Amino acid sequence: MFIKRLMNYINGYLRIVVEGYYIERFINICRSKQYMMWNIKKDNDIHLTLNIEIKNFKEICRIAKKTQCKIKIKSKRGLPFLLNKYKKRKVFALCLVVILFAIIFSSNFVWNIEIIEENGATIENIMGDIQEAGLTIGELKSKIDTKEIINKVRLERDDIAWMGIELKGTNAIVRLVKADEKPEIIDEDEYCNIVSNKNGVITKINAQDGTANVKVGDTVSVGDVLINGWMEGKYTGIRYVHAKGEIEARVWYTMNKTIPYNATEKQVTGNTEEHYALKFNNFKINFPKGVSNFKFYDTIETENKIRLFSNFYLPISIVKTTYQEYEEVQKTYSVEEAKNLGIQEIEAKLESQIENKENIVNKNINTYENENGIDIYVTYEVLETIGTNEKIVF
Amino acid sequence: MKKNRMRKLNKILEIPEEVYSDVPKISLIGFDEMIIENYKGIVEYEEFFIRISTYKGMICINGYNLNLETMTNDDIRVTGKIESFEFERITD
Repeated sequence: MFIKRLMNYINGYLRIVVEGYYIERFINICRSKQYMMWNIKKDNDIHLTLNIEIKNFKEICRIAKKTQCKIKIKSKRGLPFLLNKYKKRKVFALCLVVILFAIIFSSNFVWNIEIIEENGATIENIMGDIQEAGLTIGELKSKIDTKEIINKVRLERDDIAWMGIELKGTNAIVRLVKADEKPEIIDEDEYCNIVSNKNGVITKINAQDGTANVKVGDTVSVGDVLINGWMEGKYTGIRYVHAKGEIEARVWYTMNKTIPYNATEKQVTGNTEEHYALKFNNFKINFPKGVSNFKFYDTIETENKIRLFSNFYLPISIVKTTYQEYEEVQKTYSVEEAKNLGIQEIEAKLESQIENKENIVNKNINTYENENGIDIYVTYEVLETIGTNEKIVF
Repeated sequence: MKKNRMRKLNKILEIPEEVYSDVPKISLIGFDEMIIENYKGIVEYEEFFIRISTYKGMICINGYNLNLETMTNDDIRVTGKIESFEFERITD
């Protein structure tokens, strides 16, 4: 039934009104000639509306004349009438064709590069390297050789474990897995010294292989040799070894900051203004011209690429600029307030540097009051194992 | 005689009766839709009353807003609020 209706729509049909006293006869004659009729409805005694196919219209007119009925066309429906309506609108049809071709043409290019990094790792400057390797916005899709680009990028960088490029529509999806930084491993067979990697005071030194170069209580700085990679025997002379040992030292972490008593602080008022702009590659059209009316403001720019489907990007993007108003508020701290504020800030920073907080031995805070502000020095004393291997170069 | 034999054959083959004979088949779907197969023609058609002639007699349908939804060569679909229907047999 549905197919029949569809065919009717494609071929076109008429909804006509038949007026007369012999309507039943009219219907029966039409039926006996096997004309298709549907949605027949009688409104009152002499009024009948029904749908008929176009091709039978002339015959039906004749039958109506025979049965002394009048025929009026109520509406013309279907595809032929619809097309007829648009026949005169040539510009419209032309534009439709042009747009269609433009979309087909633009689908041959890459208009967006999406970088997905696994496990949320961030790889710096990867966009630049990818573009240098040949995957740029506006490049023909057929010209892009994904294998070659992958090879080029991987040669350039050594922090990528795996890389894949997928061209989907006009979107190039680059998937990356970051490689762990490889630690510098020195073979057990090779001779090496143990060298300090931090400044501190030695509290414990225990040389398993090699000769200790420093004593407990010595101050060492970065680069000082802690355990020498040789051993001296009475009869054997000097023998080189792979130095091994444990060294513990007190390491100091210090940071200082000056907190002024009078500070101007930004305070967001909550008023925002949004400006939109259309952007084609580098050509930008601003809709409301000019800059914000606010006196002090931050600008936040977000760019949204227009896309037809999920992976069909167009070379047009909408740039939304949000102006956020803020006020400059003058703030005065008392000495105590400034001190607390500074200490809190520095402590938070220092504690993020220290790996193991259980080893913190001592905390030292010094403050010096000035005219304009307060200088705060915070020192953490931490017990840490120090030392890295360094190859002996002969 | 020949007709009788055909009837027997059709019964063996289990062909529906309305296919090989002129007997009308009336199906009602709810109270709003009625399909009549094997009909002859429409005798009267008003919004509230339809008379359809078949080879066995007349079918009269009473109701409101009666529409003839689709009409093909051998079946007709009546939609609308059907209140009652009755038959007028042709007596041989």
